[in-house]
Amino acid sequence: MEKKSFKGYLYLLPSLIIMVVFTLYPLIKAVVMSFLGDYSIIDGSYKSIGFENYQALFADKNFIKALCNTGIYVVFVVPCSIIISLFIAVLINSKIKGKAFFQTVYFLPYVTSVIAIGIVWSWMFNSEYGLINYILGFFGIEPIQWLNQPQYALPALIIFAIWKSMAFNILIFLAGLQTISEDLYKAARIDATPRFRVFTRITVPGIMPMIVYASIMGMISAFKVYNEVFALFKGKAGPANSAITVVYYIYDKFYNSNKYGIAAAGSIVLFLIILALTQVQLRVTGKRKKK
Amino acid sequence: MDIRIENLTKTYNDCHAVDHMSLTINDGELVGLLGPSGCGKSTTLFMLAGLTEPTEGKIFFGDRDVTKIPPEDREIGLVFQNYALYPHMTVEDNITFPLINRGMKKALAREKALEMAKLVKIDQLMKRRPGELSGGQQQRVAIARALVKKPQVLLLDEPLSNLDAKLRVETREEIRRIQQEVKITTIFVTHDQEEAMSISDKIAVMKKGVLQQYEIPQSMYLNPANEFVAGFLGMPEINMMEVDVKAGVISTSGITLREGVKIPDGHYHAGIRPESFRVAEDGISMNAERVRMTGRDLLLFTKLGNTPVRVLVHSDLQLAASDSFKASVREGHILVFDKEENLMGRY
Repeated sequence: MEKKSFKGYLYLLPSLIIMVVFTLYPLIKAVVMSFLGDYSIIDGSYKSIGFENYQALFADKNFIKALCNTGIYVVFVVPCSIIISLFIAVLINSKIKGKAFFQTVYFLPYVTSVIAIGIVWSWMFNSEYGLINYILGFFGIEPIQWLNQPQYALPALIIFAIWKSMAFNILIFLAGLQTISEDLYKAARIDATPRFRVFTRITVPGIMPMIVYASIMGMISAFKVYNEVFALFKGKAGPANSAITVVYYIYDKFYNSNKYGIAAAGSIVLFLIILALTQVQLRVTGKRKKK
Repeated sequence: MDIRIENLTKTYNDCHAVDHMSLTINDGELVGLLGPSGCGKSTTLFMLAGLTEPTEGKIFFGDRDVTKIPPEDREIGLVFQNYALYPHMTVEDNITFPLINRGMKKALAREKALEMAKLVKIDQLMKRRPGELSGGQQQRVAIARALVKKPQVLLLDEPLSNLDAKLRVETREEIRRIQQEVKITTIFVTHDQEEAMSISDKIAVMKKGVLQQYEIPQSMYLNPANEFVAGFLGMPEINMMEVDVKAGVISTSGITLREGVKIPDGHYHAGIRPESFRVAEDGISMNAERVRMTGRDLLLFTKLGNTPVRVLVHSDLQLAASDSFKASVREGHILVFDKEENLMGRY
């Protein structure tokens, strides 16, 4: 038996080494770094040990702003994306012509580079020539300075991100919808079930596992938002840092300001937030399952 | 409510799934739609339910033409082959679902559901979910859900095919009992001839979309309309053979089976059921190649001339493999079919 398990560990070794070097070590290193004041990654020197970085972090208005922005972003992007995706997935799943075409169209954003999409969207958001203001014009809405005015930067980012994250959600919802037996819908028809009740009592419970999965994955990736900001505002965090997010803040502290300790402390804070929220989510959904 | 089907036809890409079928079912009857898979029996059922639109023909429930009426307004209950219970609801919610959809108050719906659950004997399972029930229990829940809205017609699609052998016999009796208690016109689809014969008031046998015969089980068994019906009903299967008729004598490979019949001379197909043989000293001599004990009967594999035949005799007959015995065919048990494979008569 002993020998057998040794062999098993041997097989695990290559991936274990990669994980230790690229995941575990940086993680520990980041934790250590976050407690070192004025840490230098070049010679490894530091001036103090303690909560200095965390204090500096929470004293920094930009970080608080990044936290708030990220919070707002998550609260809007995740539910909106799931609701709209669910709606579209149900539409695609109904018997329509060109089903395959729509499936492909809706999946395109997922396989396209965020940077490329970001450029397209920054054109669409253009205050003078953009498609979005053009459409809003039909409803008598004055052109909005989407990307140039601080109060519109975050909404623009959220709209962009909802659209971007829909592709993945639609895909898994479609897969889920196909697992619901056609007979259930026939039975519902014979039982004279109103459409909305069919949706809430048969469709939604049927793909609940997918909705839970999409919301957890969506939340984690929403907390880590960075690419979308970078792409939409051409490498900046929006006018006057108005669309700054936690990961953008970490990136900025690390590469632009060389405040390694503060960047590390920021990532630890983000890690703890994500960990706590996914735990809550798993508890809640776990309870549902037991029921 | 009696049901009248007129010229009902369903065509899928030039292929007739159901071909000009006409049928009348009397109020309160239990009718089995019987046939091999792909014969159009389920399509017929779904057209009655309104889930499949007929290409041609009409369906009447009583005097009402329901051909164009959507399923929810037809006053039918349908039990699916896989039961199609709503998996995320309790048994109680499943049964009350059709009532609440129609705007009934929850308390009243629960009362009605309990009443129905008692009828099908699942009232102690109301708080369970379908996943926690056995196949037989799920079946009962499905029947309760179908009946709770007091439909005029109950439709069952292969109601017993997902159950194991013992449960199947038990459940088919239950279906009969429930049907009798509610006195509802019921149509069920099956490919099992024994199932159809044992509980139906009448059987409709279908083949390739065409109704072959519509009769009470006993008459159908004794007087099958054609070779297909004769072959489909009965287990072990009927023995089919080539026979010659000359001057009133029916014979197969030179062996005389019957004398003094009034059929024109010629070549015919004939069918003799395994149980139509009777051991008799003055009978035809045959050799039992194999003997199989089935309990009540002995099944003998033998030959009548060149045709392999199966013969059922009482199990107290002392007979071993390769023993010979003598048997004759009981009067009126040779079924002779014409060129079109239709029954000419019993001799």
